[in-house]
Amino acid sequence: MTDDRDKLISEVVEKALQGDMDAINNIEDRVTRSKAKAALHKAKKAAKAVESSASDANEDKTETSPKAEQTIHQKMAILIEEKESGSVISQEGEEEACIYIKPESWESLAPILRNDDAMDFDSLQCITGMDMGEGILESRYNFHSMKLRHAIEIRIAVPMEKPDIYSIEQIWRIGDWFEREVYDMYGIIFTGHRNLKRMLLPDDWEGWPLRKDYETPQSYHGITVPKVKEEWE
Amino acid sequence: MTVDALYHWLNETFPFLSGNEILIVLAILIPSVALFMVIAVNALVLVYAERKVSAFMQDRVGPMGQGVGLHAGKWGLLQTVADALKLISKEDIIPRLADRKLFIMAPFVIFVGAFIAVIALPFGETIIIADMNIGIFYILAVSSFGVIGLILAGWSSNNKWSLYGGMRSAAQIISYEIPAGLSLITVIMLTETLSMQGIIQYQSGGLFSWIVFSSPFSFIAFIVYFIAAIAETNRTPFDIPEAESELVGGFHTEYSGMRWSFFFLSEYANMLVVCGVAVTGFLGGWQSPIPGYFNTAGWSIFWFISKILFLVFVMMWVRWTFPRLRVDQLMDICWKYLLPIALFNIFGVGIWTLIFG
Amino acid sequence: MGIIHGEEMVLNIGPQHPSTHGVLRLKVRTDGEVVSDIYPVIGYLHRCFEKHCENVTYEQVIPYTDRCDYVASMNNNLGYAITVEELMGIEVPEKVEYIRIIMAEFNRIASHLLALGTYGLDVGAFTPFLYMFRDRERILDMFELICGARLLYNYIWVGGVSHDLPKGFVETAYGFLDYFEPQVKEYNNLLTYNKIFIERTADVGVMPPDVAISYGVTGPNLRGSGVKWDIRKDEPYSIYNKFDFEVPVGKGELGTVGDCWDRYWVRMREIEESVKILRQALKALPKGGDVHQAIPKKIRPPKGSIYKRTESPRGDLAYYITSDGTPKPYRLKMRSPAFTSISVLNEISRGWMLSDVIAILGSLDIVLGEIDR
Repeated sequence: MTDDRDKLISEVVEKALQGDMDAINNIEDRVTRSKAKAALHKAKKAAKAVESSASDANEDKTETSPKAEQTIHQKMAILIEEKESGSVISQEGEEEACIYIKPESWESLAPILRNDDAMDFDSLQCITGMDMGEGILESRYNFHSMKLRHAIEIRIAVPMEKPDIYSIEQIWRIGDWFEREVYDMYGIIFTGHRNLKRMLLPDDWEGWPLRKDYETPQSYHGITVPKVKEEWE
Repeated sequence: MTVDALYHWLNETFPFLSGNEILIVLAILIPSVALFMVIAVNALVLVYAERKVSAFMQDRVGPMGQGVGLHAGKWGLLQTVADALKLISKEDIIPRLADRKLFIMAPFVIFVGAFIAVIALPFGETIIIADMNIGIFYILAVSSFGVIGLILAGWSSNNKWSLYGGMRSAAQIISYEIPAGLSLITVIMLTETLSMQGIIQYQSGGLFSWIVFSSPFSFIAFIVYFIAAIAETNRTPFDIPEAESELVGGFHTEYSGMRWSFFFLSEYANMLVVCGVAVTGFLGGWQSPIPGYFNTAGWSIFWFISKILFLVFVMMWVRWTFPRLRVDQLMDICWKYLLPIALFNIFGVGIWTLIFG
Repeated sequence: MGIIHGEEMVLNIGPQHPSTHGVLRLKVRTDGEVVSDIYPVIGYLHRCFEKHCENVTYEQVIPYTDRCDYVASMNNNLGYAITVEELMGIEVPEKVEYIRIIMAEFNRIASHLLALGTYGLDVGAFTPFLYMFRDRERILDMFELICGARLLYNYIWVGGVSHDLPKGFVETAYGFLDYFEPQVKEYNNLLTYNKIFIERTADVGVMPPDVAISYGVTGPNLRGSGVKWDIRKDEPYSIYNKFDFEVPVGKGELGTVGDCWDRYWVRMREIEESVKILRQALKALPKGGDVHQAIPKKIRPPKGSIYKRTESPRGDLAYYITSDGTPKPYRLKMRSPAFTSISVLNEISRGWMLSDVIAILGSLDIVLGEIDR
């Protein structure tokens, strides 16, 4: 079964390297699809290492033909790549409009997002935690600029064994509470956060509830959850 | 004066007890019990009035019922009786860490403060329990007695919120006594006597010989006294000590049942006292507004009580209209506005009297 | 945790308190009467909304969204429905759009009346509270006419609404609007321009615009600080671009820009603007049309994620939905405006007194159901 899957993955990665993302996106099974995407990232990094200049980031576009009008994510991806080369992993198309950033470059990139004149993202709208399956947790940031009126989404993927992301709560002050909530629900550790405590659950709760493999505890301080769940729907 | 008259009457009616100390005790006890009844009835009436007045101002009906025994009596008249019965039958809870003696003593101290002020109020030409020749001065002096009770209540509850309430209210009452006293000085200047009956006698002669109409400065003095009176009785807009939405009840948070009702009994008794002093000093006391008519003993009581009730109604009106002042704004109003105005008034009244006689 | 001064006291404005608008706990450190630090503790009303949404279908999520911000349920429903419709690419008929706007604006008025009434109650004015609730009752009666519920409606569905407007609704609505417009003047006389109220709220709790944006504050709180940002005008959704209304912005009329009075005043003006929108919507409401025609038989959005913002009475309500092609959402995150509003409480209440903290908290207009979800 895994052999078939590996073959499928390598096929679609091949197709995607030539620019056809539909093959990957049409994979029904979520797990396989994310594996395929991970493999694609690796392949692209390898390809970039072979070639030399950073301006080839433009070829990461999903459309085979260059559009006359660039989407905001494409524009930002180019700008970000200029400031911090190597930080953009991928920047996807219309359906999932976002920019993937490497966790290591987040620390230096975040102030740039805030202060740079062309980007000027002074408003952090939302931080969403995600459990992508296969041991990957994501933290998704939605930014918006009040002056320039544009909005982007930035995603940072970290493995479950070492879920560390740099905390941006000193740059956008609402990050303080949003990150605490993501920590509370997913267990992503935001390094540099001054007060990373649980927010919605009691301080002594064990487990990360919104992860897909979460098991509700049998009892909490002596209050037990009934085992027989008749007529519960 | 009534105590003296009663003493003599008892002396004559029971000659075998004449000269005995029991007579003095009886002569004091009977009017006091009567006065206690007056205060209790006053509280009943005013609580019911407050609920109805506030309800009508807020576009609702308040306590209502269908008849005696049915729900709360016709128009809710038995509501207060039901409340009193409920309060008497409640469990008496004293917090474990509270200072027991002070906790029990506090409501009584406040009540005593209100009670001993009522004895000097003149309800008619000869209907007054203690006709002292320093009547108004006496009332001003003893009305500060209640502050001790408030502080005791706040302290002994062993509760941060009550402590806040007690501190705030002590500061408030003590501060507002000054503009109140200064406004009354304008009255005393005109009437040249401290006796309550004397002040009322000065205002005999109908509506326009009342002190409030005698000069614009006296009118301002009346307003200043009324505002200070509202502050003295801890009513909105000055009800910070019992601000429900901030301190969950202030100094009486930990009290329940009959002890709590004593606080409210004394608040309404205090209202009676300050309105009584305002009526005596500015609105002519038990004098009828039409000279010569309606001035028998029965009518005097009627005039006195109806004037007091009118002022109480205005107090309630103010309570349900205005928001609450913050504690430092409250103090600002007292020290920076009312006090200079009251001082200025004294000069004004003096100069006016000098010029216009 | 820093230097402790001599008289510092840690006070607990506990979960049960008459004026914290829900179960909210504030740990207040005071120096005498002056507040030096506030640490809000939330989570008392957490009901695992996001986890539930991952286990029920898209249609079944709608009653759950009602219960988040229980004061403005229509707007919650609307935000969710619009998000899913954009994900699926559904176009709803015009009548449905008008009905939705009418319900959302009525709910905006009801929610603002509650906010302003309870704010008056917090600062000690008992009567405006009752007047505003009396008018709010009339709006809730209208909601009962259309869907049978007074507070939690489950009315705006993905692709349409659950019931058509009953006969006589438009007349009732006009009757209410004619009765209500002069009432706003009465509220202004009674509370807004009352000297004591102004003393309590003007210059108190000033929120500078950059602090507001950094803390993610939106809605009337942000507009009170002078920033003109309303999603109905700046990123219009549904048919808001067809209506003519203004966006009130705090100007520091009676104090500094961004104080409690400004936020209160913005809400008061928004009520008037909503009345304007309602009149236009009721006039242009199409008579015929089936409200159920665009409701899909089975909701299976294509794979993808979407983040969509709408304007709820408290601010910028957004849903982030990730779909994986199944009938149940893979991830649904609700970004609630009250969550960000309360996070700024610490910053703007330092240095004020305890009574002012209550006034500032009231002016931020929070609903704990939305914060805790």
